[in-house]
Amino acid sequence: MAQQSEWEPKLLGFLCRWCSYAGADLAGTSRKKYPANIRAIKVPCSSRVDSLLIIKALRLGFDGVLVSGCHPGDCHYLTGNYRARRRIAITKKFLEYLGVEPERLQASWVSASEGGKFAEVVTEVTKGLKEVGPNQLFSERKLDGTKTKAGS
Amino acid sequence: MEQKLRQEAKALLEQNKVDWIIGFEPGSLKFTATPLITRDKNDTERLIINPFIVNNLADFLTGIKGRVGIVAKGCDSRSIISLIQDNKIVREDVVILAVPCPGLIDLVKIERLAGKDRDELDDISRDGDKVTVTVDGQKKEFAINQTLFDHCLACELPTPQEYDILLGEPGPPAPELEVSGQNIAKLKEALPAERWEFWQNEFSRCIRCYACRNACPACFCQRCFVEETEPQWVMPVPRWQDNLIFQIIRNIHVAGRCTDCGECERVCPVNIPLRSLAREMYGIVDELFSFKSGMDKEALPLMAHYEQEEAEDLFK
Ligand code: SF4
Ligand code: SF4
Ligand code: SF4
Repeated sequence: MAQQSEWEPKLLGFLCRWCSYAGADLAGTSRKKYPANIRAIKVPCSSRVDSLLIIKALRLGFDGVLVSGCHPGDCHYLTGNYRARRRIAITKKFLEYLGVEPERLQASWVSASEGGKFAEVVTEVTKGLKEVGPNQLFSERKLDGTKTKAGS
Repeated sequence: MEQKLRQEAKALLEQNKVDWIIGFEPGSLKFTATPLITRDKNDTERLIINPFIVNNLADFLTGIKGRVGIVAKGCDSRSIISLIQDNKIVREDVVILAVPCPGLIDLVKIERLAGKDRDELDDISRDGDKVTVTVDGQKKEFAINQTLFDHCLACELPTPQEYDILLGEPGPPAPELEVSGQNIAKLKEALPAERWEFWQNEFSRCIRCYACRNACPACFCQRCFVEETEPQWVMPVPRWQDNLIFQIIRNIHVAGRCTDCGECERVCPVNIPLRSLAREMYGIVDELFSFKSGMDKEALPLMAHYEQEEAEDLFK
């Protein structure tokens, strides 16, 4: 249990370079506080995020994935985020049906000027992940029913 | 119906209206049919229509060059429309020989009901709402909804909407949604962790034969992501983790193309309830985007269009 209190979730963020990535920068430069649990990957557009990338991240042991793009109507490529929205929506619903906790795949719209919102989103997502605990989805079960570490 | 089909198919080949005929002929085992793909007009004599024509023949369309006359049940016709929506085939190149389908008989269910292996059964016949199975000279009667495939019980379109030649009188759709959705309803009652464990167990049986993918008309890629090596998305060794990831991604890929034809589940050699995945995705797509694949050949594919406002509650 001592370990449990030290445990910090690992969150992988796919951030669109035209908005959310800049939003994250802004959060930093304006000294907004947000949990250091997120590792950010810059993507050209939220629609670049293939469902494979999301599932691969969970397979590799990330506790959660956040995809963040421009608000509907503001996509640099006009329609990318609308397409991303369809794909992420079905991925999220389908994973939920399979038994993946909804907290593990989150999506948000954060513009380049919303440093504050970025900090809020990451705080909220991290909090949700702490509630559901470590990702053991893909870990092998031992015979006694307990699980080994994710991604092993 | 059969006679009409044979005549029409023969005429199509003779008049050079098509290069190929795709249909069914009797299988080598009892109560089976097997796909017949031919250019020879004499072969059309072997064409059949019965409650065992289970394959979704639309699967062959993407692998064939030329104009094709194809026997299509309601579900097959939807897969054909879906391929047209995706620009994989051209409407003018297919002649749809439409079979009004009263549902297909699931031999696994019959075996369970009769308590006998299919080889030991003398006869299976269908008359309206009853199916009569003859074993050792004795007749046993069962209600039709006990004997049909689950996906047939949920069939929304038993008679093709889009066709060139209609082979019989259209029947009414008889959805028994409750029966056909039993497995999914049961799963949904379970806790998330239990559901995941259920799939974990199921997919530890998967041998990654890819029959589900190969039989699926919506899985038409020349190079599937599972065969990619750089990066290698899934390991070729059939471990349950990779098996499950394969199937999750497969279902995401066919979302909006899947017509709930049930082929994936039927062909799986280790009886993984794949339709409980496909059907759920079919439902998700309908619920979120009011989209049903294979209904309207003019409609854009699911992932090729969007509405200004949809699914917003899933985004922060
Ligand atoms: S058909 Fe069944 S065993 Fe074969 S790859 Fe698909 S799920 Fe696995
Ligand atoms: S996923 Fe299964 S039910 Fe859906 S179209 Fe493919 S074979 Fe048919
Ligand atoms: S699983 Fe995906 S990549 Fe593979 S054939 Fe099906 S649709 Fe194509």
